[in-house]
Amino acid sequence: MIPLIRAELLKARASRTTRVLVAVTPLFCALWACLPALMPAASDAVRMANVYNMAQQAYVFTMIIGILGMCGEFRHGTITWSFLASPRRGRVVLAKLAVYGLVGLVVSALSALATLVAGAALLSSQGHPALSADVPWVLTGAVLGSTLYALLGVGLGALIRHQVGAIALACLLFMYGDAFLAWLVPDVFRWLPTGAARALGGMRLDSGGELLPAWGGGLLFAGYIAAAVLAARFITLRRDITG
Amino acid sequence: MRDDPAITDRRRMTSIRVHRLRKSFGKVLAVDDLSFTVPEGTITAFLGPNGAGKTTTLRMLLGLVRPTSGEAVLGGVPYHELDRPLERVGAVLEATSFHPGLTAATHLEAVRIAAGLPAARVARVLEQVGLEAAAHRRVGGFSLGMRQRLALATALLGEPDTLILDEPANGLDPAGMRWLRGFLRAYAHEGHTVLISTHVLAEVEQIADHVVIIAAGRLCWSGPLAGAGLEDLYLEVAG
Repeated sequence: MIPLIRAELLKARASRTTRVLVAVTPLFCALWACLPALMPAASDAVRMANVYNMAQQAYVFTMIIGILGMCGEFRHGTITWSFLASPRRGRVVLAKLAVYGLVGLVVSALSALATLVAGAALLSSQGHPALSADVPWVLTGAVLGSTLYALLGVGLGALIRHQVGAIALACLLFMYGDAFLAWLVPDVFRWLPTGAARALGGMRLDSGGELLPAWGGGLLFAGYIAAAVLAARFITLRRDITG
Repeated sequence: MRDDPAITDRRRMTSIRVHRLRKSFGKVLAVDDLSFTVPEGTITAFLGPNGAGKTTTLRMLLGLVRPTSGEAVLGGVPYHELDRPLERVGAVLEATSFHPGLTAATHLEAVRIAAGLPAARVARVLEQVGLEAAAHRRVGGFSLGMRQRLALATALLGEPDTLILDEPANGLDPAGMRWLRGFLRAYAHEGHTVLISTHVLAEVEQIADHVVIIAAGRLCWSGPLAGAGLEDLYLEVAG
């Protein structure tokens, strides 16, 4: 397993797309954090929560990094080399989970740091309180959530295999699909991946729908990852590699 | 370290055997009850018209395509049961399967690490295929011939005793063809086994000592190449 993980790490580091996404994500989060810092809010606590919750926005990027890491192999046909070196295909996916979990963790931590620096600087410059005891928890939750999205990306990539299809489907599902379902049936939101991830971040919804406790959200999200990986293992991973 | 390479190689020799192999993709029967053996230490030409099932057969040997029935084994076992497969069998499939953003050296390094091979192998195989000068260029800018050489370099990483090559002459210029011919001759001369699919009969005729011809997924002819011209034989049995 260790050689496979090292090989995946080398490929992840050598990929220009991954490097660009790793650099862009913290900037993106820092920019988003500026918006609620400048907006009027019901209370200082709410304003702070809105600012630091922007660290969660890294999830789109970490998920795409995970999808690209897996689907890129199918897109470029390099999966042939990977499976020739390791005919036990499940191990290739496990190595990718390990590596993109790590990449996701690094990106998420950098993004949380960027959100903290940008948010705190702007809040204090506006004369608002910039820190509270809740802030570390909000940021930790955001880091965990975005890291898990990278793993979900790998699982979805292995299941769907088609790069553009996987990214389009994942973005539709997690940016709009879950919200739409929640609008139809509000009680269901806490059980959806987005609801589980938000519970992890300790985020509370404006609509008032209660989320699971953070540990419950984390477990549920891990369950979604496991479901995607297992589905891939038993459905698409066995398929013929014909070109 | 090996005490005596010749003896170790003989012990490690990986025979290729295809037995009653079938593969259907939906309603299309790509390979139909195909059986043949590749004698160890020979260069065996694997011939047949387009769509005869050559690529599918080679991919079944390499564990990339799952047979519908029958078996395709290397050294008596399916590819996925080989211990350290890259040290037994090297494979060249499509010329295009590289990440265009990686350099040749990084691509080789990734495969080398995944297979747990010594670090010195990357420089060695680049030298073997004559790609040292292009080692740190991105594969996206490579010509088809250079990709073929890189694919062969990848196949050689594990110092395998068997090579399985699918149309390796595709995209090679005359100098590249001559180089490949010389390379395979030298490789077989060391007692190694080569199974090579190709359409360039004149080229393979100069180096092959055994032929397997298939058409429509079935075996047409299999045996040593002696005397009669390969083109005549091919057109007679598969034409």
